[in-house]
Amino acid sequence: MPSRPLRRLREGWPAYLFVLPSVLLMAYFSYVPAYTAMTRAFTDWDGLNVPTFTGLENFQRALTDPVMGQAALNAGIWVVLGLVLAVLPPLLVAELIFNLRGQRRQYAWRSLFVVPVVVPSLVLLLMWGTFFRSDGLINTVLGSVGLGAWRHDWLSDPSTALYSLIFLGFPYIDVFFLLLLYAGLQNIAPEVFEAGKMDGAVGWRRVLYLDLPLLRPQLGLIALLSVIGNVQYFISPLVLTSGGPGYSTTVPALLMYNTATRNGEYGYAMAIAVLLMLVVVVLTGLSRLVARERA
Amino acid sequence: MNRRSLTPGEIVRNVLLLLLALLALFPVYFSLVNSLKSPVQYAQNLLNFPATLHPENYSLAWVQIRGPLLNSVVVTLSSVLATVVFAASSAYALALIDFPGRRLLFGLVFALFLVPDFLTLIPLYVQIKALTLPSNYLAIILPTVAAGQPFAILVLYAAFRAMPRDMLEAARLDGAGHWALLRSIVLPLSLPILVSVSIIRLVPVWNDFLLPSLVLDEVHRTVPVALVGFQGGGAATGSTPNYGALMASYVLSALPLVVLFLFLMRSYVQGVTSGGVKA
Repeated sequence: MPSRPLRRLREGWPAYLFVLPSVLLMAYFSYVPAYTAMTRAFTDWDGLNVPTFTGLENFQRALTDPVMGQAALNAGIWVVLGLVLAVLPPLLVAELIFNLRGQRRQYAWRSLFVVPVVVPSLVLLLMWGTFFRSDGLINTVLGSVGLGAWRHDWLSDPSTALYSLIFLGFPYIDVFFLLLLYAGLQNIAPEVFEAGKMDGAVGWRRVLYLDLPLLRPQLGLIALLSVIGNVQYFISPLVLTSGGPGYSTTVPALLMYNTATRNGEYGYAMAIAVLLMLVVVVLTGLSRLVARERA
Repeated sequence: MNRRSLTPGEIVRNVLLLLLALLALFPVYFSLVNSLKSPVQYAQNLLNFPATLHPENYSLAWVQIRGPLLNSVVVTLSSVLATVVFAASSAYALALIDFPGRRLLFGLVFALFLVPDFLTLIPLYVQIKALTLPSNYLAIILPTVAAGQPFAILVLYAAFRAMPRDMLEAARLDGAGHWALLRSIVLPLSLPILVSVSIIRLVPVWNDFLLPSLVLDEVHRTVPVALVGFQGGGAATGSTPNYGALMASYVLSALPLVVLFLFLMRSYVQGVTSGGVKA
């Protein structure tokens, strides 16, 4: 007679069949590469041949590389400014829509702000690339309002290239963040607003003293997603500037990508990736901690 | 419109929203008007509606973009479909069957939320290059399906958990097996959420650039990869591309999503607002 755990295992067989495709796919395309990345970070590896173990050498190199220092500084600026752009514009629009009268009108505006989702993100990026050119939209507009002196080849000047990439995408109304904040406002009980009204919390005061504190979970999530997203983001420098001019738009994630695909130094690239992941994990952990303290 | 709705505050809010919406939609306007201009018209004025139209830009763009468009449609549809089918089957087992190792599996799926894409990007590229696949499409479809699993399983798990248990028990007493239960009760009942998950997943898959640019060959490249390739070209020379044809290719590359959102806007909005889900 088979033991109890064995029988349970046998009776569970349909369940194992149900999860099998997902598990195989995730094992091969998610777990194996993650394992490769973390183990090869400690080796000298060219992506093809057997890696040789070098211990912490790659990490030492990453932490002392001056290019890495510049890249980390660029990423820091990006994260801070990106946070402001991720929170303020969607919050403004969410508040404006939420304070409109009539469900139908709110629904119509909400839908209108979702429409830009149909523009593929690469199209938006490339179009802004043309705006920044010397014959592009920004210089044309500057010229026509009498600010011709400010004209610029925005992406070729090391002092403006990074900021041009960060501020790409005006007016920065992220659909997902907007919907998240709007849903958050809708979930606030009407009694809370009624009670607030008695205490004089109307208009700006209501936003400041009621909405913002009550939206803290949503704002926290947006801040976390924005910071984590920007720490690892490198598509616009990759496509529009290749990290230049000089290293003025290089970020660590781009350095990781170029180190592997251009220089073939896969081991070093993995070390940079692991360091970046540590940053992400620490940030996530910190935000959890802050959320728990507040709760 | 009644009198109450036209307070000064209400007017200000509507005007502000209109202004912001127009700014948000500006790229759409910009690509549309400029897709109909000749290079000379483009150089003269970037913002006006052209006096004489140049629809031939679209035939120039179409020649370049139709291959990538077809590739994108094939890749996106098959990978989103497979994502939802596999995730639904896993979510069913995790949510509604009690079996040894369930918690462990659950943990393994959700641990993947902590693994960032850039960590796996390069090893994945090395791994796929070494793999002999029957079709190059699979080089991007398979990893994309895998990457979609945690999000899709999470949402479907929650939906299946909330299903009326007595109905499921009754069906089981009538002799329905797990497969029949999933196919004829669970899936039909959760159709709206299946649509939401599909369309939320579809947008990032359609826009994906990094991995496709690494693993897809020239013939199978998708729209984002192809668009980056057009930058210098657009059927013109060196540093000044033919902007009209370029903008026309931008417009064409957005069309499939436009058509989709005409029908599924509501599911998208509801899906995103129904919980704190990560897009």
